[in-house]
Amino acid sequence: MGLPLFSVFDTVRELGWTGAVELFRNGLALGSLYALIALGYTMVYGILKLLNFAHGDVYMVGAFIGFGVLNAFGGSPAPTIAILPLIVLMFVVAMLGAGVLGVVIERFAYRPLRGSPRLTLLITALGVSFFLQNSMLLLFGAQFRSYQSFQLGSDNPAAFEPGPLFEPVFTIAGVNFQRIQLVVLATSIALMVALTLLVAKTTLGKAIRATAFDHEAAAMMGIDVNRVIAATFFIGSVLAGAAGVMFGLMFSQINHFMGFYAGLKGFTAAVVGGIGSIPGAMLGGLLVGLVESYAQGYLGGQWSDIAVFAILIIVLLVRPTGLLGARAIQKV
Amino acid sequence: MGSESDRPVLPEPDGPQVGVDEWVASAERLRDRPTGAAGVLRRAEQVVTPPIQLAIFAGLAALVPFWLGTGDLFTYGIFVLLYVLLGLGLNTIVGFAGLLDLGYVAFFGFGAYMYAILSSDHYGIHWPAIVTVPLVVVTTASLGLLLGIPSRRLLGDYLAIVTLFFGQAFVVFVNATNPVVAGTGLTGGPNGIADIDPLRFFGLEASTRTQQYYVLLVSAVLILTGLHFLSESRTGRALRSLREDPLAAGAIGIPVNRLKLLAFSIGAGIAGFTGCIFGTLLTAVTAGNFDIPILITIYAVVILGGFGSLSGVVLGSLVITVSFQFLAPENPQNNARVLFYTLIGIVIVLLVRSWWRVALVLAATVALGLVVQTIVEAVAPSWTGGPVVEGGRLGDVIEGWVVIPEGHPDFGSVAYVALVVAVLALTQLRRSRRIFALPAVAYLAAVVWETSFVLQPAVARWILFGALLVVLMNVRPQGLLGTPRVEIV
Amino acid sequence: MQRRGHGPRISAALGALLVALLALAAALGATANQSAAATAAADSTAITCGNRVSIGFAAPVTGPAGPLGQQMARWGRFAETRWNRTHRLDIRLVLGDTQLPDTAQAVRVAENLASNEQVLAVVGPAGSQEVQVSTAPFRRGGVANISGTATATTLTAGSRRGFFFRTVPNDAQQAARAVAYMRGAPLRARRVVVIDAQNSYSTGLADAVQRLLRRAGARVQRQSVNESTVTDFSSVVARIPNDTQVVYIPWQLAAKAQQFGEQLRASGRNATLFGGDGLYSPEDFKLPGSYVTAFPVALGHPTIRAYQRGPGRGSSDLFGLPSFVAVEIAARAVERACANGEATRAEVRGFINRTVIPRAQSLLGFRISFQQTVRPPLGPGDMRTPAQYIVYRISPNGQFVKVG
Repeated sequence: MGLPLFSVFDTVRELGWTGAVELFRNGLALGSLYALIALGYTMVYGILKLLNFAHGDVYMVGAFIGFGVLNAFGGSPAPTIAILPLIVLMFVVAMLGAGVLGVVIERFAYRPLRGSPRLTLLITALGVSFFLQNSMLLLFGAQFRSYQSFQLGSDNPAAFEPGPLFEPVFTIAGVNFQRIQLVVLATSIALMVALTLLVAKTTLGKAIRATAFDHEAAAMMGIDVNRVIAATFFIGSVLAGAAGVMFGLMFSQINHFMGFYAGLKGFTAAVVGGIGSIPGAMLGGLLVGLVESYAQGYLGGQWSDIAVFAILIIVLLVRPTGLLGARAIQKV
Repeated sequence: MGSESDRPVLPEPDGPQVGVDEWVASAERLRDRPTGAAGVLRRAEQVVTPPIQLAIFAGLAALVPFWLGTGDLFTYGIFVLLYVLLGLGLNTIVGFAGLLDLGYVAFFGFGAYMYAILSSDHYGIHWPAIVTVPLVVVTTASLGLLLGIPSRRLLGDYLAIVTLFFGQAFVVFVNATNPVVAGTGLTGGPNGIADIDPLRFFGLEASTRTQQYYVLLVSAVLILTGLHFLSESRTGRALRSLREDPLAAGAIGIPVNRLKLLAFSIGAGIAGFTGCIFGTLLTAVTAGNFDIPILITIYAVVILGGFGSLSGVVLGSLVITVSFQFLAPENPQNNARVLFYTLIGIVIVLLVRSWWRVALVLAATVALGLVVQTIVEAVAPSWTGGPVVEGGRLGDVIEGWVVIPEGHPDFGSVAYVALVVAVLALTQLRRSRRIFALPAVAYLAAVVWETSFVLQPAVARWILFGALLVVLMNVRPQGLLGTPRVEIV
Repeated sequence: MQRRGHGPRISAALGALLVALLALAAALGATANQSAAATAAADSTAITCGNRVSIGFAAPVTGPAGPLGQQMARWGRFAETRWNRTHRLDIRLVLGDTQLPDTAQAVRVAENLASNEQVLAVVGPAGSQEVQVSTAPFRRGGVANISGTATATTLTAGSRRGFFFRTVPNDAQQAARAVAYMRGAPLRARRVVVIDAQNSYSTGLADAVQRLLRRAGARVQRQSVNESTVTDFSSVVARIPNDTQVVYIPWQLAAKAQQFGEQLRASGRNATLFGGDGLYSPEDFKLPGSYVTAFPVALGHPTIRAYQRGPGRGSSDLFGLPSFVAVEIAARAVERACANGEATRAEVRGFINRTVIPRAQSLLGFRISFQQTVRPPLGPGDMRTPAQYIVYRISPNGQFVKVG
């Protein structure tokens, strides 16, 4: 298994336009998930300068909550209520649950340490991450749980016919765009638009922006800093919970460890897009998703991870503040 | 060894001083003098200076192979020293210079693989150790230098991510990429490189565990000495000021970038050296030896011992290695059980200040347990009387005290969730009210142990480790022997 | 002021270095001849058997391979209790947690078991890399080890003769069976994609299958994906040519294989999936029309049903079954060695090497004895009977049906 440098061009030619479109579609779907996770990271980092390692695990818990709701109504392939309300219910319950979890984490693990050195906060975040991951492992065991979303609502599950989620909706250059991928893309965009409106137009959004700029000044203006921070965590975790359910619907297999790499990629996406910038997180997420998809498709599993790391490191070196981030002025 | 006291203990003056209010000065001295265990430790540090500490450590450690058999020597002796070395390297980067390096274990792996490639059957190259080891150290240090170059532009958390990527990239490269060089895969893929030569110089060979132990011990002593000198020198002081506030350090003329590179190089060099020895210990290396769990263990050693403290690294390594082994699934569960109950006891002691109150709480816990047990036995006997997992001699005592239901497999999970909620609620209670809730929570913890944790000890260990990190950062972020830091943002 | 301080410091440092190196040389020289003496001693130290003897059991009970290791531990303890019920000489398993994939723990366990004088034989370790690193400690201690899961073909190339045995067929045998079936009816595969999972087990199988298929003239495309970290296989799927007939996936995580299969079908590709014994997991992998090879097991054997009712809690945990057989072999050898009240490790090694378990008593469905010579694909330590891997096909309702 040697260096595929020259064979990359062969692969690109072989896969042709169909392959390129297929990889683009995959990258978009995956990238939407990363974007949602990145939004949570970027909001928390903007307001607390904290790298919340536990965010990926909130995403994982969201996926499990969605699984619980799905099974409470009979599970795949034939649940006891109609598919659409079931999915909406899964989203709502998982988002609320994840939001509450995020608030609890902030309240008990991070609030007592406000003002501590960065390293201390990071280590605490790591500790919370271990705690969450292994609690899920203790409660649910190590085996994968499956949404079985491929057959969800299928007329003929025995013949392995795809259910409505995986039915192709339209075709471009010979590539099927499945319903679930479009749902994920649309929902992510809707959530991101909602978030942007929230931050830009509402009072809470103004308070969040003010607190992110300067805690003390915001407090002096009468803003309840604790509540604003709690709200930020809530919003970020709600998005992560939504991403978790989307993951379950697209990829089916969930287990306690799924948050680790997703969280890592999500944070990278946030950093690449510019930490503290919401459009940056979205852009970063899509970028990471596309890079991963194309690297896997054109370079193959041996080099794809390294290529993704290398590209992200280069972006960070060339523009340390990210693509859309503001130039950070260090106060002395 | 290298842990500096942040407040000098001033000697008592032997006569009246001009311009000093005696009464105020003596009151201040009394207030500043640390009390309790920390005070004893600090005063002991004045007497037992680092060279004496090193001598004691080296002396005791040299005698260890005479006490322990081969198996225990490997587990307790060699592993401890291995993590001491790795912790020292990480301490240089994170503790001395304040650079968060999450890819440190890649240097360790790089050193091990490079040594393996140069001294094994893989390519048939069998260079002598006297050539290979220095070459590997220099190359790994250069790699550290290379990695340090981007650190100039990247602030704390960004550097963490980039170094984490580097660490993961190493594992992926070694495991999956494995490019074909000179006919064979360079790193051997998932099977790694086997049949690594033992360390050989001047006709002496380190092939038994005792010999390898002494090699590690001498290396550790030398590196400890070197780092101590570094820490006490001008460079060490400059590194400390870099750690505390990079901007201020740069403003007063300290070559911040050069120091960062130096820290990375030294830390990487130490890791590379340890990697060589590691390869000879196992005679084969694979990617799994250099992945995230190892990184976490090294960090645990340095966090527990205290960043910036050399003796802390030694202590941290001892505590972590011994306790992990003590809690391993191979040992009877009673080890872990005793440790857990002791932990509950320690928590009670730390939360409740006076001794008679502690006794009261413990008595209340025991009484509560007996009361609950009696009630449950009378009302719903199926909810108690379950088997105590590997109880040994303590089994009968526990069976009579803890409610262990039989045939209700989900009880453990529910109890665990209840315990987490109870502990969180406990932290919110006022101190005076806490004492009333404490016996119930302690008893609940015992129930959770017997019905849930003891069945999955490895998972319980990680849960407790995570909780310990959070608590440690809240209570004593500087670790056991470190110095408290204040970050000016 | 500073410069004056450096001179004596540097000489002090060099002096310390010199002293340390001399001390090291002395220590190394003094302990130079211990190893040879130690081996000879361990080999022939006789221990009194009494009523109970110890057998080591090395398995990855915790860590990423935890579920597999726990399966093996359950079967091992099952063997222990059953043996002790029916034999006068009791055995006691001494557990060692090897925490795959960190092979340093495997060495630690090997050192501990080898230096435990009461241990006469060892069952395990599980992974092929672990066997590689534990060979030296076990050899120094003179103790034989029987693995129930290490399948790398190179382990029985000859250097471990008399010390290493295994109760599973090796990768070369499994690959040969898979390829033979793939080339025959009904698959008649000539366009195959082989995807390894970037671990030792799958890479060995993938290499072997790729080689055999290419030799037979089939077109083979090789890919690689990390089954534990990758969650989205759609880009891997995109690389698979549309006219592929068979996709060979010798993976270990059945759930991930299921996800891969679903994404393959969703993309409109109809290639048949063909897996190794790692996918023999009906709860997780149930893509209709797929094939799975599994090592031979006497499925109807009452012991297996007893396990299912007992420690298995409903599942048969077939992955751990060869560990049961390994414990049995070790126990029989120890019993024979203890016939005169005393046993040495060398004796036990010899008896293990000469093991014969008749077909009726063997859970593997065939007579068990160990190969002595190198005869590819078998080597010293492999089981003599060329084990015929069973091929299963998954029926539309998710059942595993034996087809070959």
